[in-house]
Amino acid sequence: MATSGDSPASSKGEISDTTREALANPLTDDDDEEEEILANNHAEGSETVLATTLKEDSQNPDLQRLAINSLGSDDHDTHDIFITVDDPQKHVTKMETYATYKVSTRTTRGDFDHPEYTLRRRYTDFLWLRQKLEETQPTHLVPPLPEKHSMKLDRFSEEFLSTRQRALNKFVTRIAEHPTLSFNEYFKIFLTAKAWELSSHRKQSASIVTRFGSSFKANASAYMLKNRSPEYTMMGEYVQTFGDKMGSVDRISQRILKEQTAYQEALTNFGPAFRLWSDWEVEMTDILNAFATSLESCAKAMEEVIEGQELHYVPLIKEYILYADCVKSVLKKRDLFQMEYELAVDEINRKKNEREQVKISDQNYSIGAIMGKNPQDVKEQKGVKLETQIDKLQKQVEFLNDKTECANADLKADLDRWHRNKRRDTKEAFIGMAERHITYYEQMLSGWETVMYVLRDQDLELPEPPHPSFSSSPQQETQNSSSESKEDSWVKVEADAVEES
Amino acid sequence: MAVSSPDDSDSLRYDSDEISGSGDEAKTRNFADFIRETSKTRRLSDHVEILVVEHEKRTETGSMGMKDVYTAYLIESRIREENGKKKQVAGNPSSLWRRYSEFEMLRNYLVVTYPYVIVPPLPEKRMTIMWQQMSTVDHFDADFVERRRLGLETFLQRVAAHDEVCQDHLFHTFLLQGENWKDSIMGTGFQAKNCLSLLFLQQDSRIKNLNASFRLKKPDKRFEGLKIYAQELRNNISAILKIRAKLAGTLYGIHKIHGNYGRVFSEWSGIEKEMGDGLQSAGHFMDAYKDYIDDFMNEEEQISDQLKEYIYFADSLKAVCRKQEVMQYELERSEDLLSSKRLQRDQLIGKAPSKTLSLQGMRSKIFGPEKPETKDARLRQLEDQIEEAEEAVLRNQREIMSFMDHALSEVERFKKQKGADLKELFISYAVLQIKMAKRGITLWTNTKECFEKM
Repeated sequence: MATSGDSPASSKGEISDTTREALANPLTDDDDEEEEILANNHAEGSETVLATTLKEDSQNPDLQRLAINSLGSDDHDTHDIFITVDDPQKHVTKMETYATYKVSTRTTRGDFDHPEYTLRRRYTDFLWLRQKLEETQPTHLVPPLPEKHSMKLDRFSEEFLSTRQRALNKFVTRIAEHPTLSFNEYFKIFLTAKAWELSSHRKQSASIVTRFGSSFKANASAYMLKNRSPEYTMMGEYVQTFGDKMGSVDRISQRILKEQTAYQEALTNFGPAFRLWSDWEVEMTDILNAFATSLESCAKAMEEVIEGQELHYVPLIKEYILYADCVKSVLKKRDLFQMEYELAVDEINRKKNEREQVKISDQNYSIGAIMGKNPQDVKEQKGVKLETQIDKLQKQVEFLNDKTECANADLKADLDRWHRNKRRDTKEAFIGMAERHITYYEQMLSGWETVMYVLRDQDLELPEPPHPSFSSSPQQETQNSSSESKEDSWVKVEADAVEES
Repeated sequence: MAVSSPDDSDSLRYDSDEISGSGDEAKTRNFADFIRETSKTRRLSDHVEILVVEHEKRTETGSMGMKDVYTAYLIESRIREENGKKKQVAGNPSSLWRRYSEFEMLRNYLVVTYPYVIVPPLPEKRMTIMWQQMSTVDHFDADFVERRRLGLETFLQRVAAHDEVCQDHLFHTFLLQGENWKDSIMGTGFQAKNCLSLLFLQQDSRIKNLNASFRLKKPDKRFEGLKIYAQELRNNISAILKIRAKLAGTLYGIHKIHGNYGRVFSEWSGIEKEMGDGLQSAGHFMDAYKDYIDDFMNEEEQISDQLKEYIYFADSLKAVCRKQEVMQYELERSEDLLSSKRLQRDQLIGKAPSKTLSLQGMRSKIFGPEKPETKDARLRQLEDQIEEAEEAVLRNQREIMSFMDHALSEVERFKKQKGADLKELFISYAVLQIKMAKRGITLWTNTKECFEKM
């Protein structure tokens, strides 16, 4: 894949021939579109094809790559490419209004011409990259992009742009950290190509993309797999539930944020109300102002909670909602590989059956015999024909089996990694949420404790505050006093002892 | 005030010490004596504990066959223990049932009888500035009745704590005398006075609308200031309570919605292997976060009710100011009368120049000068009127002076009471907030630990 776009294109023709033969079965016939889709599928797996034809060894290089793949993710030090997406900018031209984001790359990889790149990309460029990654790497879990539209916000508002910028940064970082995806040719193009180069790349592939996506789902769901490993069924069910739960978490957090915002607004007005009142209460000015100060600091603390949640918590939950869909679609793709394989196995079994039939059958009444041919010859001819077909099919089945295995292995590694990331990310997000709340309550506590000091200083006649719980728990106090009294008695005993001696 | 009396003394009053009702009457009187004697020298509230201990929903068929459904409150009064010793007074403690309208009657009577006193307010008839949707709450809602019970108790205790009002005989009988109380309070004729004062109030409000016509010549600056202060007190507390209601509503929402995390975490934990336990227990803490808000809301609501009392205290203060205005108005009117009469007299004896176009001048021009006899008679009549007017002025002056003296010292007392009450209220609010913050810290720290186990 040294020269961009060439290798998939050239191998495509070659493979579609084999596919056409392989798929000459009743399930997919007469469906040009479907056939082409499967052909595309093969195009993407071109590397695998070449590998199997060149190497007799059943051990696939993809599998070796996978070994590295799963190892690499644990070891962050091996990362040799660092990318950031920042600085969203709005552009207004005569034709359209759009936003671009600065993509900066630093890398030590040899196949990059320069160690550093800085360029600007639009959202559609990211979209193109993701589609390309899905096409060329169907066995891998490609991270999700932020959703296209947000109805709530203006598309070019600063808030929307910066939220999207952070999500895009996450997307690119996730790809860069992926041991396979980060070496994808299109990723390199995305990171290095000049704007016009990129747009020419994009034009080349536009048509395939749309056709590919449209009938994929229908195809996969139409066929019931015979022996899908329960692992994938479970994963499918898992990710469905997971997606649902993340959706719930998102809705809950949105509602909480809404309430918190309303709370914060009211709190912001609460302090000034006390300040206004303080003008009228000469003897209580200090107390009322202390109240106001405390309430103002509470309002500020709540604002920080909201900001933190919006910045660090909500985007992550949203990302994992989208991730659930990505996992679903990559599982579907895997099913497709297995479906191909199972169809081929069916086919070969049928041919084998036919061969057995031919062997024992009486060809006297066959069309050939009627046409005047020797029934024995007909039988042999048929046998030979079937034999070659079976041979071909056998190869096809082996190839598809390899491919499915590969897909399984790729996917397994990716899903493992995804599970690890998910665990780490959600854990971090939740811990962050808890910490933000702890900070909030700590600020609230110190604010009101200050008020208590003012209240106590204000009026010395005032007896001890009715509830001593604000400074130290009553148990502690009683403990202290009891230990003191113990000490006293201890001292006394000692003194007595001294006297006695 | 035409309410059928709910008091049926035998069934309503019970005596916890005395089971047989024979000596009841005499013993209650003894307790009544104690109360009367005590209240003369000391604050009643220091020596007698007054509580509203219970409430009960009652239905009664009135004279017209109309059903009357109301809530009755059980008032219990007992002598406080001193130095751990119980005072042996017969008829102590005493308890009896009263309904809200009787409290209202008592308060109206006090307002009329002690015009210069800032009479403690009753709990509001309809609840205002609430954070919960109150459309569903009727007058027999448990929460509503409970708040009213507390409010009525505060009212009685405040009256008992007032140096002067606590001596009132009808107040004592309100606490002790089940039957005939209504008759005796009606006998004071306070309602007639009340009607008068109501008339004044109406007149006042009408005049207020016309504003210009009711302008005092010499408004007392102190009372003017108090009036403004009362208005500001009301406005400020209202503003604060309104914001608090909003805060309470949203805070309640925040906590309750966190409870949903509890549910989702628990469901989610079912499909997670390593994270499951942590999620599950974090969910439990979220449930706790949801639950404990109820207690805090209740406590905060009580504090806010205490603050709300001062909105109505502000109204009482305003009422006193208004009375001062009415009295001042009366005084000025009598002064005007006096000076006009004096002018008439002076004109008659020729001391003052009569207006050229006056009726007098016209008459003398047309009919010729008056006869000396009639002039004398008119003079005498005027002298009488002047004397009368002078007396009225003096009386009004005396009245307003004494009123203002009383009222101003009452305002001082009120200010002290307000300062102490508000301080206590602020302390309990701050303590509550601190409790809340501590609870929040503990809870989120626990939750964080659960998340860390994920």
